[in-house]
Amino acid sequence: MIEVKGLAKTYGELEALREVSFSINRGEIVGFLGPNGAGKSTTMKILTGYLPQTAGTVTVDGKDIGEDSLSVRARIGYLPESTPLYTEMLVYDYLAYVARIRSIPKAEIHERIVETTRLCGLEERLGQEIGTLSKGYKQRVGLAQALLHRPDILILDEPTSGLDPNQIVEIRNLIKNLGEDRTIILSTHNLPEVMATCSRMLIVHNGTLVADGTPADLQAREEENPRVRVVYRGAEPADLKQLQSLNGVESVDSGVTVEAGAVAFEVSAEKGHDVRPGLMELAASNGWELVEIHRLVLDLEGIFRKLTKDV
Amino acid sequence: MSVRNVSAIASRELAFFFNSPIAYIAITVFLAVSGVYLFVLYDFFEGNQATIRPLLEQIPLFFILYIPAITMRLVSEEKRAGTIELLSTWPVTDAEIVLGKFFGAIGFIIVTLAMSLVFPLIVSSLGTLDLGMVLGGYIGLLLLGGAYAAMGLLTSTWTKNQIVAFILAVLLCAFFYAIDGMVASFWEEGRDAFAFLSFRAHFANIARGVIDTRDVVFYLSMIALALVLSVQSLQARNWK
Repeated sequence: MIEVKGLAKTYGELEALREVSFSINRGEIVGFLGPNGAGKSTTMKILTGYLPQTAGTVTVDGKDIGEDSLSVRARIGYLPESTPLYTEMLVYDYLAYVARIRSIPKAEIHERIVETTRLCGLEERLGQEIGTLSKGYKQRVGLAQALLHRPDILILDEPTSGLDPNQIVEIRNLIKNLGEDRTIILSTHNLPEVMATCSRMLIVHNGTLVADGTPADLQAREEENPRVRVVYRGAEPADLKQLQSLNGVESVDSGVTVEAGAVAFEVSAEKGHDVRPGLMELAASNGWELVEIHRLVLDLEGIFRKLTKDV
Repeated sequence: MSVRNVSAIASRELAFFFNSPIAYIAITVFLAVSGVYLFVLYDFFEGNQATIRPLLEQIPLFFILYIPAITMRLVSEEKRAGTIELLSTWPVTDAEIVLGKFFGAIGFIIVTLAMSLVFPLIVSSLGTLDLGMVLGGYIGLLLLGGAYAAMGLLTSTWTKNQIVAFILAVLLCAFFYAIDGMVASFWEEGRDAFAFLSFRAHFANIARGVIDTRDVVFYLSMIALALVLSVQSLQARNWK
């Protein structure tokens, strides 16, 4: 549905995005993940037609966002990063204004506002001035604005930033419910958010896409290079060299004495190798006591940190 | 070009003015200044003539401060608050945004001018007023006000700071108001050559009650030029 090919954006000297390509299918909820300044917002500003790209193409169902800008924009609902709203307007008046611009027929405007604000939990605040709302409610107004014309694509830039934990859960649930019949792209630098709401994640770092897949995919990919933690009683930290010379071992982290007379090593295996039998044999041949051996599974947070670490 | 979008934006701007005290304060100040000028400073009663011509000659000067004060926030405030990002991702074109904002300001100017009809009403109760001059003068004021508003809108697209937009708009309006006089101050023969660019020179006929097509075309062209430049300035984010 959304095809992004070779997207690049430079602001003066600064390369915000380099050669980013991905495609998103109808009905997916995609989490756009990355540290601050990685290029998430820039990508979203390009997808929504606010900023033109320096190079590359973005198409929605084959329509170019530059050439068919108006028709593509009509299908997108967008919540920008800091939820900019006309603070002096009443919630109802604001949504009525958006409805006019979104070409919703006059006779349906009232009903549509009531429906959308009910969905967003805003129906009690219709008569309130936007500037006097709490951050959570402002966010809901921003969401209502993005949903009013029932777009099939929703682009939400950090929809939960600055909210308290209860509000975060509410907005997440709302997004999940919306996602049943829509394509949603949301950006965040918060990992639990992606795990809680998204079916797929795109991780960007320094303007490039470093990972693309479901959380399970990423974990599976990580498991191809398994790490093993082993603790021997009777070994010395200097025995590291013996471990390194084992077949299939890529690297070993320096041994640490964890309890009296016992040393722990963390072993990274080469792709496709199981080093555990070797490690057990090593204990037997040296007369060490094998106290502990297990595979270290990097959780998503660990994967995220590994992918977005500055080398 | 969607009329619906333009009118939605224009009516939001108008609603903004009239939902805040700014509009009422501005109009009150404008009427007070005009009234003081006509009846006190100008010695209206000494002149012994039922005319609003002195007012028609002064309003273009008052407008140099009044209209930029109205237009300064039109785009700069959207830039400051970030709402420009939403506005420009909605299905509206930059031209519709500019026209909507412009007509919002025009609406405000029309309300101001309508309120100031109180002066011709007072004057007509004192003697016979030349209605042709009043009608022509008000059409002229609307054209001139439109040109100021278009310039104010243009400077408002240049910055996210309203005060900067205001000052630039005042300078721009003053420049085009007085360009022939400024040239004449060091080159007397140049006055006529530059009069074709001068808001004041083009208003002179109008203040006498004569509507000349050349003057109308002049103001309309200045408006069109400033609006086109405003659209381009909005699109300039594309090259940032």
